[in-house]
Amino acid sequence: MRKAGAFPRRLLATALAAAALLPLASRAADSLGQVETLPAQPGPHWLWVGDILLRRAAIVDGGTGAFLGQIPGGVGIIAPLRSPDGREIYLAETHYARGTRGARTDLVSVRDAVTLQPVAEVEIPPKRGEHTSWVGGSALSDDGRFAAVANMNPATSLSIVDVAERRFAGEIDTPGCALVYAAGPRRFLSLCGDGTALVVTLDERGAEASKVRTARFFDAQADPVMDKPVRRGGEWLFVSFAGVVHPVDVSGDAVRFGETWRLVADADAGWRTGGMQNLALHAPSGRLYALMNQAEQGAHKAPGTEVWVFDVATRERVQRIALRGPAAAFVAEQAKIEPGGALDWLLQRALPNDGMERIAVTQDDAPLLFAASGFPSTLAVYDARSGAHLRDVREIGIALSLLQLP
Amino acid sequence: MAQRNGGDVDGWLETASRRLARTTSRRGFLGRIGAALFGAAALPLLPVARAAAQPSRAPSAPESGDPASCDYWRYCAVDGFLSACCGGTHTSCPPGTQMSTVTWIGTCRNPVDGKDYLISYNDCCGSTYCGRCFCNRNEDDRPVYQPGKANDINWCMGTPTTAYSSTVALVLGVATDGK
Repeated sequence: MRKAGAFPRRLLATALAAAALLPLASRAADSLGQVETLPAQPGPHWLWVGDILLRRAAIVDGGTGAFLGQIPGGVGIIAPLRSPDGREIYLAETHYARGTRGARTDLVSVRDAVTLQPVAEVEIPPKRGEHTSWVGGSALSDDGRFAAVANMNPATSLSIVDVAERRFAGEIDTPGCALVYAAGPRRFLSLCGDGTALVVTLDERGAEASKVRTARFFDAQADPVMDKPVRRGGEWLFVSFAGVVHPVDVSGDAVRFGETWRLVADADAGWRTGGMQNLALHAPSGRLYALMNQAEQGAHKAPGTEVWVFDVATRERVQRIALRGPAAAFVAEQAKIEPGGALDWLLQRALPNDGMERIAVTQDDAPLLFAASGFPSTLAVYDARSGAHLRDVREIGIALSLLQLP
Repeated sequence: MAQRNGGDVDGWLETASRRLARTTSRRGFLGRIGAALFGAAALPLLPVARAAAQPSRAPSAPESGDPASCDYWRYCAVDGFLSACCGGTHTSCPPGTQMSTVTWIGTCRNPVDGKDYLISYNDCCGSTYCGRCFCNRNEDDRPVYQPGKANDINWCMGTPTTAYSSTVALVLGVATDGK
């Protein structure tokens, strides 16, 4: 027979043993509440990938295909701006109190670039414009002090935010002109319907110091420039519907217009540059990447099946890169078929190639070329020098929009 | 069916747009409406509003094709989700939305009579994105800095909210410049 009192002693021993094990258990278990952060500076192959329907900008590492994080926007354009020191991200946002209705609030939010957490916000007039390319909706002055947000309701103006003092600095009318591009330490440039540009210079407090219309530098009726330029240092490159490059030098006191040149030679008749975001520039090498199509109508925004690479210095085409089709990439993703195999090869040839809508190029010494489509949403990564397809970033979104370097 | 929303200014603007479109050449119309919409501020809208003395009579056009298909003739310059796939039709917005009265204008050839028609692409607003039948055709589309012909722009203006849902394609009349 068991002695009276033996059980309680064993229970006590068990409890003591369990208590002794507890520290071990807690060391082995996951701790609650861990949240990742990002490196202080963006990686060389990072890319912001906007999504119209998910209303976000996601950060993707094109070198690995990894999805690193995202920031949400509200209604309209989601185009993050990064401070020159890399520490902060500014985002113009529009929100309705009840999602799609109720009181409207427009603001520029400030996020910590490491935690992606919001740290401040500045309310601006509820006039922010929205367009589908998401290019030119906002800009940061080259000194990093002032953010400009392009308004259209449909009257056009700029809302200026002092991001250092977290202060709305004022609104500047831009009659007849729209969009905004950085053009100097305290200067912005907008495009105008008559073929000129409007150059807005700010004073130390962010108020209008001067507002000057340039001379006409393109024919707004016969061959307008597309509103999706690329920048290399002090020079913007605008490309017209017909493929004429219009260099705009914003490095000096006066904005100057350089000699124009053509992307499409006579021998390439039938090809046009176009897309929702049809240009990318690798600044260190001076290589201009242009998305090309053979559409008969609306070619300026038609998806492209090739990327042509130009040397900006010589104005010569140096490479043609054939792009893989988005339909095949999407089917391969759904069917979990890896790129490079026989099934992938077959899909690429069996399904029509409707072309890609947007491109971007990283700025490092081993640059990557990104090509994205919106419907279906696919993001392909190429070696920007060789043109070799490296990978598709899968499940990247449902309605891809702006591609932007961080 | 679509409900008329917005205040008097919106109604004036819509009526004025239709009247101008019917009674002037395409280029002249675009020039005027572009100048009005893209002027210094809201004030330049007023001359257009004053032009709206007569109510509009809906023009009719012979029809063929499927309004739920991107190939439909009226969609030659559309950029968005087709209302006809979203609970509305090609001339009416889905339930729960409001139709914008400020729009962009395209010119599309009707395959039945071979004539060019002015098409007003009004956005349906106040709901979330429909996400069905995305259609982007860009015949004669212009950049955002030429807004009267820019289909990139979210034209949910003059509506209670700018939240975009889908787009309709209304015939304004026959284009008269012989194109």
